[in-house]
Parts: sequence; structure tokens; C-alpha cells
Amino acid sequence: MLKLLGSLGILIGCVGLGIDRIGDEKGRISHLQELIRIIRRIQSEVSYGKHTLPEICLILAGTCAAPYRECFRAIYDKAGQEAGSCLEQIWRQELTQCMQNVQLQEEEKEVLRDLPQNLGIQEEKYQAESIGQSADLLIRKCREAEDAYANKSRMIFSLSILSGVFLAILFL
Amino acid sequence: MRAEELFHMFPQVMRSRWEQVAGLADRLQEIRLRVNVPAAVWIDNREWFVDAEGMLMDRQPGSGAYRAEELEMILKHLCQYSVYAFTDEIRQGFLTIQGGHRIGLSGQVILEEQDRIRNLKYIRYLNIRIAHEIKGVADKVLPYLYDSRGQALNTLLISPPGCGKTTMLRDIIRYLSNGTKYGRGMNVSVVDERSEIAGSYLGAAQNDVGIRTDVLDGCPKQEGMMLLIRAMSPQVLAVDELGSEGDIRALQMASGCGCRLIATIHGSSLEEVRNKKYMRNVIEGRLFERYLVLTRRSGRCEIEGIYDREGMRC
Repeated sequence: MLKLLGSLGILIGCVGLGIDRIGDEKGRISHLQELIRIIRRIQSEVSYGKHTLPEICLILAGTCAAPYRECFRAIYDKAGQEAGSCLEQIWRQELTQCMQNVQLQEEEKEVLRDLPQNLGIQEEKYQAESIGQSADLLIRKCREAEDAYANKSRMIFSLSILSGVFLAILFL
Repeated sequence: MRAEELFHMFPQVMRSRWEQVAGLADRLQEIRLRVNVPAAVWIDNREWFVDAEGMLMDRQPGSGAYRAEELEMILKHLCQYSVYAFTDEIRQGFLTIQGGHRIGLSGQVILEEQDRIRNLKYIRYLNIRIAHEIKGVADKVLPYLYDSRGQALNTLLISPPGCGKTTMLRDIIRYLSNGTKYGRGMNVSVVDERSEIAGSYLGAAQNDVGIRTDVLDGCPKQEGMMLLIRAMSPQVLAVDELGSEGDIRALQMASGCGCRLIATIHGSSLEEVRNKKYMRNVIEGRLFERYLVLTRRSGRCEIEGIYDREGMRC
């Protein structure tokens, strides 16, 4: 009886791990979607609102989801402090901290983290286009992740069950 | 100006160079940054150079020259990494930053059709003019700015550049708005085309312009005056630096709507202003009831004279 219960525990544990891994994949997609939304918003605030980067941070602090909301609020507050660091440094520091535990690849995180490096163009139309190019990589990555998600989640789920069964047999 | 405000103008890597100047920030008038030469600062009407260590020297030092990339970095920093947001200002050769400080720019011009300036590139010369909010500079002129019923008189401030015209205008606006012993507080609307009067940031005035003052920031004077008359029904309308026939037309229309006017113009005397083509009709038509002429004598800004609508000294 105990052996049976133990095997069942192993099976449930393996399935749990699989579900957690699937959740990570789903989380990555939703973070990518959020980053795309943020970059699109920045693009439109640049081209239509002609807002400066700190002003855009304040707008984003009121519109985007956690953990980015708090991060943009912090950038706006720190940029306003007179003895504070440069905006580029603040942006980089805050976003590095904010995205530390986010399920995204380094390349994807860099798109938003390095955004101030792309800001130096004098005309808003070209500036917005340049920001839009940063979003292109994320859109491609997001599409790939969405396409892969259905197959990958089925595969991870099946593998987790199979490995659970395998370990249970070994246990028995 | 406070030391922190000065530091905030420069990227962090350059701030150590400005420590000695920051100690004198309240007396700082101007900072001139030019490519391949050290920075020059004007403190108490005297020019000093800043060397690489941040020491002030009365002649050109051997170190501390600014490279082109450093000037670009400063410009990017002053624009808060948002140069695109200042395109219109850069095209006109200046931009105004938080606190109302004005940055004059020079470099290479990009022209478009009909030789109009499309933009500036290779910006290699920066002139940072420090805005000073000095309360009380208008104390002496206040009795001349009201009529016997306590109504504000249409006033034109005439001054050469750098004589405190905007500082005087700001203080007059504050007094008219808050009210004085000569007249009750009035609703004042300000068209602040270059953000120098109110020093607005995110639309809100940073300088004290009075409790009954509405500010339209960054708007061309002509459009701004008409918009404010329609939207805010001001008792007094204030504008800085009249410079075209269009400005004068808008001013005349505003006067026709019953607004009292306070404006400034570049010039060293009433005569000189009268000789400006677009001002002749205004002065002969007696639109303004008071002319306030500012001047600089032995390095100090002073009131040269106050004149009535006939051009007679009050």
C-alpha cells in the first residue's frame, strides 16, 4: 500500500514539474506580449505626444502591468531627483533589477534595457521608427514562442507523465 | 540656482568638473561650452574658464577642452535622452530645460526648400543661460503699472538681451496675479513660448507666477494669445519677446477683446523700438500706456526710465 502511495507521489511530482515548466513557457509569452505593448506605447508617445522619456515612464507607470509598473514609476522618480544619476543609467539599473526573475532570454531583455541607446534621433518620426525596429525582434520571438507553445506543452506534459511512470516502476 | 540644479545639467561622469562652480551657483549667469576649448562661465559679470580639474581660472587653461562627443552627451542629457521632443526648439536654435534655463545651440544647419532651416546637426556650441527668479524686482515700477481705478495699464518692457527683461516680466505677472496695494488680483494668462517665464515642467509652472495665473507653455505667441482669450478669458495677457507683425496683430486683437497687455521687446530705447517697422503703428496708435526701459550700466541692470503713452517720462 505504501509503495503504491509512493509511486503515486512520484507520478504527481513529475506531472507537477511538467506543469510548472509549461507555466514558464506561458509566462515567457505573456512577458513578451507585455514588452511589445510597452514598446508600441513608447513609440506612439514619441511620435504623437512628443513626450520625453521621463514623461513616458510616468504614463507607463499608470498603464502597464506589474512588475514593469513599479519599475517605470521608480525611473520617473529617480530621474527627477536633482543629484541623481543619468537617465540612461537609471533606466538600465531599474530594468535589470525588474527583469531579474522574469522568464525571458537575455537577448529579449536587452531590447527594453538598451532602449535609451537608440534615442538620439532628432525627428520624432524617425525616432519612432527606430524604436519600432526594436519591437520587431520581440514580435518575431513572441510568434515563435506561441507556435512552439502548443507542441512544446504537449511534449513536456507527456514526458513528465512518462518519466513519472518510469520512476514509479523503478521504485516498485 | 542651486548647486544640485547645476549638477543635474551634466551627465554624472562630468559632474566632478563642476564642483567649484556649483559652490557659486547662485551667482552664476551663463555657461558657454565650445568644442575643443574649456568651458567658460560668467559669474557676477566676470568670465572664468573651468579646467579639467574643475578649477576656475581667469585665463584659458591648458586642460579641460570639451570634445565633440562630450558636447553631444551633454545635449542628449539636457534633452533627457529625448532629442526628438525638442526638434522645434532646436530648429530655432535654443531649448528650454526644467527650471526655465535656456540653452542656445549652434552647429551646422540643415536647410530645406526656400532656405528655411530644417534642423541643426553637429551641435558644437552651447550657451546655457541661467534663469533667475528674483522676487521683488518689480517693486519700484508697480505704482506706474496701475491706473487710478486699480486697473492694470498696457505695458511694454523694452530691454537689450541679458538685462533682466524676463525676470521683470515674471515679477510683474506675479504681482498682478496676487494683487498689490495698488490693485486687486487679476486673472493673468501667460503665453510662454519658450518656457522661460514660468519654467513649466510637465505643463506645471516651476516659477512663482502668482495664484491667478494660467500658463500656456510652448505655444507660438499668435496662436497662444487667441487660444487663451477664447479659453481662459483673462483680465491680463502677458507675452515675452514680441518679434513679428503677426505678434502685433494678435496683441491688437487681444486688446480689442478687453484684455490688459503686458509684453516685452528687444531694444535699448523707446526710439529704437518706434523705428521697428511693425511697432510704429502700435506706438503711434497708443496701444501701450506705459513703456518700461531697462538698461545695463557698468555691468548692472537698471531701470532706465518709465514713459507714458505719449513717450513722456513719468
